[in-house]
Amino acid sequence: MTMEKLVVIVALLPLVSAVLVQLSSGRLGRRVARVSVTFAAVTFSLAAVVLATAVVHGASGQISLGHSWGIFLFDPLSSLMATVIAGISLIVHIYSVRYMAEEPGYGRFFALLDIMTATLLVMVAAGDLITLLIAWHLTGVLLYFLLGQDTRSHSAHRYAFWTLITYRFGDLPLVLAAGLLYHAYGTWSLPAIFSHIADGPVVHSLFGLPLPGLVAGLVAVAAFARSAQFLLHTWLPYTMAGPTPVSALMHAGIVNAGGFLINRFAPVFVHTQGVLPWVFVVGLVTALIGSTLMLTQNDIKKSLGYSTMGQMGFMIMECGVGAFSLAIFHLISHGLFKGTLFLGSGGAINAARKDDGVPKDELYTFVVERRPARVRRPWILMAAITLAVPVTILVAAHSLVGQNFFQEQGAVVLLFFGWVTGAQLIFATYRMRTGNLWRLVTLSILSFTVVVVGYTLISHAFDLFLYPNEAFRQQIYAAANIGVLRFDILVGLVTVLIVAGWVLTYYSEQNGSRQGEHHGRLWLAFYALVSREFYLTDLFTRFARALLTVATRLNVWLGWV
Amino acid sequence: MGALTYWIAGLFMPLFPLSMAFNALFGRVRSATVRIILLLIWPQIGLTLVLAVNRPIPHWCVLLALFTSALYAFRAIGLREVGQWIGYLATSAWALLWVALVVHTDPSTVRLYAFAFSLPLMLLALLGARLEERFGAAYTGLYGGLSQALPRMSGVLVGVILAIVAAPLFPTFFAMLATVAATTPTMPATALTVAGVWLLWSWAGVRLLQGLIVGPGNGTKVPDLSLAATWVYTAVLVIMLVGGVLLTGDLI
Repeated sequence: MTMEKLVVIVALLPLVSAVLVQLSSGRLGRRVARVSVTFAAVTFSLAAVVLATAVVHGASGQISLGHSWGIFLFDPLSSLMATVIAGISLIVHIYSVRYMAEEPGYGRFFALLDIMTATLLVMVAAGDLITLLIAWHLTGVLLYFLLGQDTRSHSAHRYAFWTLITYRFGDLPLVLAAGLLYHAYGTWSLPAIFSHIADGPVVHSLFGLPLPGLVAGLVAVAAFARSAQFLLHTWLPYTMAGPTPVSALMHAGIVNAGGFLINRFAPVFVHTQGVLPWVFVVGLVTALIGSTLMLTQNDIKKSLGYSTMGQMGFMIMECGVGAFSLAIFHLISHGLFKGTLFLGSGGAINAARKDDGVPKDELYTFVVERRPARVRRPWILMAAITLAVPVTILVAAHSLVGQNFFQEQGAVVLLFFGWVTGAQLIFATYRMRTGNLWRLVTLSILSFTVVVVGYTLISHAFDLFLYPNEAFRQQIYAAANIGVLRFDILVGLVTVLIVAGWVLTYYSEQNGSRQGEHHGRLWLAFYALVSREFYLTDLFTRFARALLTVATRLNVWLGWV
Repeated sequence: MGALTYWIAGLFMPLFPLSMAFNALFGRVRSATVRIILLLIWPQIGLTLVLAVNRPIPHWCVLLALFTSALYAFRAIGLREVGQWIGYLATSAWALLWVALVVHTDPSTVRLYAFAFSLPLMLLALLGARLEERFGAAYTGLYGGLSQALPRMSGVLVGVILAIVAAPLFPTFFAMLATVAATTPTMPATALTVAGVWLLWSWAGVRLLQGLIVGPGNGTKVPDLSLAATWVYTAVLVIMLVGGVLLTGDLI
């Protein structure tokens, strides 16, 4: 059997499972979950075979089930993503067997889970625009029903609706992009379209804009809606009324589809100018706002929701700097750790009932618990370590995989973020309460080194696997470049901002008790703004209600006909 | 003569304000059978009239059709009565046939689209009648929680409403997809409006579903759909799915 056929089987197996589960749930009762789990395990095994073949022998092929659409791709991206989705789906299936046992609609839940898995697998393997659009659209619809699994809960359905409407909003740019591409090239097949674009990228234009730029912009908007980018993110933290396994699947395998989509359309993005920098800006804003909002949440699942938003921002940002394969690595690693966090959130809540985890007063721990007081070192020495060590590790790690990485703006931006993260880690370590500070700092640096080297090597391996053509990789980075002067000014400005932030933090800590009243009021106002999520949710809710009121008034004025 | 025919056709492939005539008629008719017949033949009469003129569709017709479609899709989000909802969605969907006539040269394709739009609405008219039999009215928010009391009917309702709001792989999905895709390069404003209408349908569909099937249920004991009826509805939905892929889907 050819690998192309196996890809189709992998995508269709969960669909067979869904039909079997639906038909036999009345007869088998709770045992119906075994059917679903078995199919999920077989699907994962076959997906792993496809991936192994792709890694060993390379992957390049397609199979068409229909006349003009229904094409399935066997390529590195589809084989990798299929394995990830099938793996996460298997874990969620196994977890749900007991977790959902007391819930009504047990069989329906597993059938929906199977259809969702099949849809995601079709999405990543889709080799034509129509198949991709079908899977893209269907994901939102299925997610609505999975999040609204508890049909008694109005709030679960209310927030599931938010998800659906945002996803539907994101479907439409993709439909428009599909229309443009089909009209220009006369085919729905993605490989054929990409080949035409490679042959003559600026042959077609609309409103004076080159077609690749226009299509890439539309694809990016579709990716933003799917991956909860700023202004299209409000649904994400509010979908926690859905079952925990669905949250896990959603955060691990659905919201990150934006990164996948941008990778799928990489051959279009390489022929654009100015689109990827905007993608970067949107990702950056989302990462900052998502992470800030995460810090103000007191609900673990909502906090995880905003954490996902921040991570998705970072993933989109990686695409924006041209590190497409790194975005795929990021979405996989984020999917695994966020899925684990969601599935363990119930345990965390249980543990919090025994110990709230709120840090105790420093004097109390020193006098009553006899813990050592914080040891302080000269701050200039610590500042030097904080700034110098991360950058040394990052540069050394990147030198392992490429000598000329400083020529790529995207790599510099990522190094910059790595440096900020590393410095922040050491900075936080320095502020921790410990008897042996040097031991803690050394361990932190060691962990940071392992993470950076691992991340660099793995992302390099992803680069070679997903985009083996060196010239194409360079083209992606080139598409993400902006003018050198503008780039240098931006990096300098952000560096100043971050260092100023650190100085301000240090200053605040030293003079915490002597802050002015005006400063305190400003801080409180900012905290109120953040804790109310910038009032965006209220704004969208009011807007939706206003539309409903207008619709009803129109109906009254027009006599309901 | 042509302009007059277009205006008459505007009664059947509804153009505002002529669309009010259809909705007034549909509202007065209480028989499910008559409603189904209306839903089936109304747009086909309109298409027959327009095709008889055998001239390119005037621009004002397309503009008015887009306005009508958007207006009724928007008004549908504020509705709670199933019968009115069917009328508004039918009006919104059939108005788009004017756009389809501009971008598709083959009249049989547009007739197929009209049938694709009508068929799930016919099923909903039948289901609405079953709800009226059981509860005295087919009204959202009145009883709620149908999924608890009538699980089979709720399942069928979900399938039918998905077909109406053009979810994949129903024929309506391919009709909408083809219309948006065909208009995007040459008439981008039209494509955006049609896409917006599609979005509003989803909103209207979800509001109808949430008002009917979601909620704790009020404990009313009413008979669910029979198993045989459920199978018949399911079979029609499956036929629509297969038809979507093989007929409208193949035309893309």
